[in-house]
Amino acid sequence: MSKVWIILKKEVLDSLRDYRSWLTGLFWAVFGPLLIGGMLMLIGSSVREDIEKPVNLPVQNPGGAPNLIRFLERNDVIVEKAPADPEAAVKNGDVNVVLVIPEEYAEDFSSSQTATIQLIMDSSRQSALTDVSRIQDLLELYGNYVGLLRLIVRGVSPEVVQAVRVEQKDVATPQSRATFFISFLPYFIIFAIFNGAAPIITDTTAGERERRSLEPLLINPVPRRTFVIGKLLAAVPFSLASLAITLAGFGMVFNILPVEEYLGLRIGLNVFTLFLIFLICLPVVFFASAVQMVVASFARSTKEAGTYLPFIALIPSLPGLALAFFPVKPALWTMLIPTFGQQLLINQFMRLEPINISNAIISTTTTLLMSAAITFIAMKLYERERIVFRNS
Amino acid sequence: MIEVQNLSKSFGKVKAVQGVSFSAADGQITGLLGPNGAGKSTTLRMLYTLLKPDSGFARVDGFDITTAALDVQSRIGVLSDAQGLYERLTARENIRYFGQLHDLNGAGLEKQIEQLITLLDMYSIANRRTDGFSTGERLKVAIARALVHDPRNVLLDEPTNGLDVASTRAMRQFILQLRDAGKCILLTSHIMQEVAALCDHIVIISKGTIAAQGTPDELIQKTGKSNLEDAFIEAIGSEEGLE
Repeated sequence: MSKVWIILKKEVLDSLRDYRSWLTGLFWAVFGPLLIGGMLMLIGSSVREDIEKPVNLPVQNPGGAPNLIRFLERNDVIVEKAPADPEAAVKNGDVNVVLVIPEEYAEDFSSSQTATIQLIMDSSRQSALTDVSRIQDLLELYGNYVGLLRLIVRGVSPEVVQAVRVEQKDVATPQSRATFFISFLPYFIIFAIFNGAAPIITDTTAGERERRSLEPLLINPVPRRTFVIGKLLAAVPFSLASLAITLAGFGMVFNILPVEEYLGLRIGLNVFTLFLIFLICLPVVFFASAVQMVVASFARSTKEAGTYLPFIALIPSLPGLALAFFPVKPALWTMLIPTFGQQLLINQFMRLEPINISNAIISTTTTLLMSAAITFIAMKLYERERIVFRNS
Repeated sequence: MIEVQNLSKSFGKVKAVQGVSFSAADGQITGLLGPNGAGKSTTLRMLYTLLKPDSGFARVDGFDITTAALDVQSRIGVLSDAQGLYERLTARENIRYFGQLHDLNGAGLEKQIEQLITLLDMYSIANRRTDGFSTGERLKVAIARALVHDPRNVLLDEPTNGLDVASTRAMRQFILQLRDAGKCILLTSHIMQEVAALCDHIVIISKGTIAAQGTPDELIQKTGKSNLEDAFIEAIGSEEGLE
């Protein structure tokens, strides 16, 4: 047991001095919080923009339709002077939309003819579409409003002309997009655990072989399994640090940003929940180290290991992806899959849903058992002659 | 004391070592001499327990290399072909790590490290990280960590390979010192002059089998030649590997 401690101490010291690799690991730990935080801020600002920001509308010949202009202004539209060449200005993207009121408008309008106005816009420009559709809606509203008034003046009920009324209800709000991204949050946590361990595992296995120090090391009177356990445990503090940093990052994002206002959805990430998530993720720390150790033991060089390990860290994202599209209830079978069960539990914590204690226990136990089994495989790999001499 | 009986090892169809038997006594330098690919390193690797023999057995101080590997490991100091160091650790930390793996600790370990640093004249590099060390400096660290537990048996795989003239000379002096301290030394070499200069007992190995063995004088007598070089060629039946 004391040999495990000696190996662990040496590997931790060695890895700590290799600050470039663990800094890379830490980058991945803050990556998730930065990405989701940044996205929330973008959505937050667009939500506020949509509600509060008035639309600027350049109008050519506003004097031709004073009533229409007054109507627009009452509805948060700021009427501006139109550019000299409206079509060119829209084409260039200088303005989103221009309203042109022809000279004959006033005459047509007062004689109750259909008065034509022109809306110049570029439908291929995504960013202008919000403004365009809002102006379109307002203009249509104005047209209907005036039409209704005319019918009422003539003694006809407005409902006669409106046989069908379409009420649109768009459920695709910026909020729902945000919720989609937030369903990746559990995966980012798992990802941080894997990436925290990866550089240390790589260096202590493939790296040891690459620098040709494995052979002298294994001649020492220490059972191979002791080396495996020591090296595996050396990755644990780095993985734990990565997990803690990611959780702290998410904690900051969700407690500093007014997420509830942005999303209309309460995300429960207070200190206590973060701590519970930390506990739920502990078995994954061992799992990630063991899996990556087995994979890195096959690699001839750190470079080769560096191509395998990121791929391994991506595998737990697959259930997470599925989760984003098809919500899965945390049933028993989901708890039997390491990393998947934890992701579902984190999701429940986040959404303030009640946690089924037996689910947490099953998930923890199976993940620990799997980690032990995989560690056993790593020990068997290290017993082989091939671990030192590739040609044998 | 190392005894080797009928040791064999194959890699797939390649018979690397076939029925090799010899023994290496304490206070003597035994040399495994043979051309490249003759099976010298494979024999040594079996002795330092990283390869398992297909048949035959070997004992180090009476401990079997397969059934009592840990006992063997604590009784041997090995300078293998692979001499990688931990480059982010200092020379002293590299040596200390191996000492701790040999169950040494505290003042005893530090004293032993200090002795090796003196013996190998490595004061100037002892507390530097080994990153950027020269070949000679690396070798000193590798030797020190291999001998930190003061083993009775020392296995050296091509110990002067890649060294310049001065380092080769220093290395040979060091090996003789170890012999005078009563250790059992087994080294491999493909350089006849080196073996002739150092060894008390020579085992000539060729194509995985032993061609001849004995003291230099015995070898000359057995082959009926006038010098060791001719005796060596007579024994392996060709001039390959002669330098």
